[in-house]
Amino acid sequence: MRSNSNKKTGAAFETRRGFSLNNKFRLVTGAVLRSKIAGYRRFLLVACGFLPVFFLSACCTPKGVYIQKMKNRSYRLMVNGKPYIVKGVCYNPIPVGKNHEYDWWGDPNKPWIVDGKLMKEMGVNTVRIYQVNEDPQKVKQVIGDLYNLYGIRTLLGDWLGFWEYPCPFYGDKKFQEKVTQHVLEMVRLYKDEPGVLGWILGNENNYSCLGHVNPWSSPEVDKEPDPQKQKNIRAKIYYSFVNEISKQVHQIDPNHPVGLGNGELVGLDSAAKFCQDVDFVACIIYRGKTFGNLFKSLQMTFDKPLLLAEFGADCYDAYLKKEDQNMQAFFLQSQWSQIYENLAGNKKGAGNCLGGTIFEWTDEWWKHNSDYPEGWAQHDTQSSWSNGSYYYDIRAEGNKNMNEEWFGIVALSPQLEPATAPGAAESINKRIPRKAYYVIREFWKNPNYDARHKKKSSRGKK
Amino acid sequence: MKKLLVVLMALALLSPVMAGAEDKAAGPKEFVVYLDKNAKDNHYIPSGWMGDYGDIKMNDQAAENPHTGTSSIQFVYSAKKSQTQGWAGVYWQNPANNWGNKKGGFDLTGMTKLTFWARGAKGGEVIQKVMVGGIKGTYPDSAMIEMGPIELTNTWKQYTVNLVGKDLSYLNGAFGWTITSDMNPDGATFYIDDIKFEADPDLKPEGKKAQGMPFYVYADRSSVVNHFIPSGWMGDYGDLKFESSSKEDPYLGDTCIKIAYSGKATQGARWAGIFWQNPANNWGSVDAGYDLSKATKLTFWARGAKGGERIEEFKVGGIMGEFSDSDSATIGPVLLNKEWTQYTIDLKGKDMSYIIGGFAWSANVDNNPDGATFYLDEIKFE
Repeated sequence: MRSNSNKKTGAAFETRRGFSLNNKFRLVTGAVLRSKIAGYRRFLLVACGFLPVFFLSACCTPKGVYIQKMKNRSYRLMVNGKPYIVKGVCYNPIPVGKNHEYDWWGDPNKPWIVDGKLMKEMGVNTVRIYQVNEDPQKVKQVIGDLYNLYGIRTLLGDWLGFWEYPCPFYGDKKFQEKVTQHVLEMVRLYKDEPGVLGWILGNENNYSCLGHVNPWSSPEVDKEPDPQKQKNIRAKIYYSFVNEISKQVHQIDPNHPVGLGNGELVGLDSAAKFCQDVDFVACIIYRGKTFGNLFKSLQMTFDKPLLLAEFGADCYDAYLKKEDQNMQAFFLQSQWSQIYENLAGNKKGAGNCLGGTIFEWTDEWWKHNSDYPEGWAQHDTQSSWSNGSYYYDIRAEGNKNMNEEWFGIVALSPQLEPATAPGAAESINKRIPRKAYYVIREFWKNPNYDARHKKKSSRGKK
Repeated sequence: MKKLLVVLMALALLSPVMAGAEDKAAGPKEFVVYLDKNAKDNHYIPSGWMGDYGDIKMNDQAAENPHTGTSSIQFVYSAKKSQTQGWAGVYWQNPANNWGNKKGGFDLTGMTKLTFWARGAKGGEVIQKVMVGGIKGTYPDSAMIEMGPIELTNTWKQYTVNLVGKDLSYLNGAFGWTITSDMNPDGATFYIDDIKFEADPDLKPEGKKAQGMPFYVYADRSSVVNHFIPSGWMGDYGDLKFESSSKEDPYLGDTCIKIAYSGKATQGARWAGIFWQNPANNWGSVDAGYDLSKATKLTFWARGAKGGERIEEFKVGGIMGEFSDSDSATIGPVLLNKEWTQYTIDLKGKDMSYIIGGFAWSANVDNNPDGATFYLDEIKFE
């Protein structure tokens, strides 16, 4: 409807222009003047006829953020009626010397002002934040600054009580109620912030159903002697719970999509049965240079759009024991290339990808040993886990090649640089973009992924 | 007319030179690895003995029924596990005994295949695999290509290793073979002759073809249809005892697999497991494996020695590396019965087009504080 009205408007404009040119060198006689006035009248009539179309078109342009299902099980994210590719980063700007408990939201130096500028220059349009601060004013400040100054939107998340002591009792009604209210409070507080892009429920909580991380149980689970069936019962409980939250979020906020934060595709066969009310899957994936069959596999098991909510590569070679920015840039470029291949409209891929948020924006120096405050000011080079997909340094001792403190595409220096926020009194750690920052910046400028689009362009030139 | 004669004479004079230049550009059509003992064209020496080298006897002047020339090489493999390895093999190297510690070898760019002739003394002898390249060290071979297993017949037969598209710029280990006691429990006597590289311009690259079903991971100890090797020991590998030829009540055939997991946490991991890989020890660093796209499930039979042993996971695929498995599928935890029970891993909708990790299991101490002994048999894709 909108494109039709544009076409007709275009035609009317051409008519008017033709009239004017044809009469450019004529003497303006009375007859000509009458004819001209008559012409103007015709134009006004035509234009007025289309005014309602304009008006309706403007009114009907869907506001807010939603996901559009297209043919061939493709999906695309729409923001205020326009397609939106999530070009994002996970954002948790903990300064050198602090740990995860540090309240960066309340930092008077407002590191997000410096970061937002760098992000904008790179082409980042989205940040993913795992959990909001308890102070709504601080949260609104961050979301507002990023959006108003740089046009960067925010995906807000909630851990769903995953790190609660002693474990997340997803089968317990009181626990469920507490977590649900926490999420709904977030939605009520921020749903009208123009910078909000959507909600992500949980992160890798599904692993707790397998008992791998933060294992939990319930009377229903305990009754079942077969451990495989126990796993299925936990998955049913967990995904049903997330589904219920998702429904309630939609009731409060119909203008933003709700994502299911999920480690790999584990458990999504259960999600397909019990969690149909989420709008997209926000997957955490570390598969090295390729996502493999991730996109098609999701389509087969749980046909929902996919956001790569956490992926990336560290930049420390644990085998050669030195920083390797090339390695990180190589993996990230390969990963983004696959993300673009699987966006809607690209025939090469599955068409179900919405984009991704790289893990992560800046390094976090506290991560290797979070209980050792002196370590928070040291950039530890010990690797903490193994992943053969990042094969350059897999020959490291014990095959441990993943360096948690080196995932940033922007390095932090212990050296300080002036904060640029108005009224900032102090300084922040100097930001030093790594090679991946520049490589992905260039990739986003020219992803060169859509052969169909290229053909169209060349036809246009002819 | 004079001009024409001059041109014709010039062409006549130049044509042999041009023909020579063409020959030079085309390069040699073959490059001999080994023909006969002391043959002047031999470029490599069968010096790289591996594994249970004490189980191998070599007669490089076997005069009885050579394929060509006056002799072939006879290998007698006793399967006695002299060095307790359970396998043995020989590499043809240049220079002799070069395990990549010195510069040697040849640039064989332009060759597209390696051919050799082989026969068994009786027929039915199983060569686990033959290799071209693959020697590592300071001066590593530029490629590693494997083929096998090969079941020999008692008459000469030519075998071909396709090398199209491979980087053959440096090959110190031109050719090698390995054999296992599992596949040849009573040993094997076999003959090899006329090993050479050839430049065949019409040969196409060997694409992976979708394997027919059923496709075995493990059928029986010495079965030629076993396609994966239980080489990927994980976690507390010191806690594991593995027997691929247990005769304790196999489900089918002569043998089954017996695994004893002590649960002592020898390496401190508190869990252990084994991956069946192709080739052995391939954690995704070697482009190999099989296209199992036709598989819709993997089935296997299992039983516990006592019943109640808990296996956390049985798995297909999931090895991640430079050449990762194309997908993975799991079942578990599984409490084993004392009686043989068939289990199925559903592969419908999975991408099985590239599988190097054919099968795996893992168990932990927490759920098996006294360890676990269990048996596996008839592991196959269907």
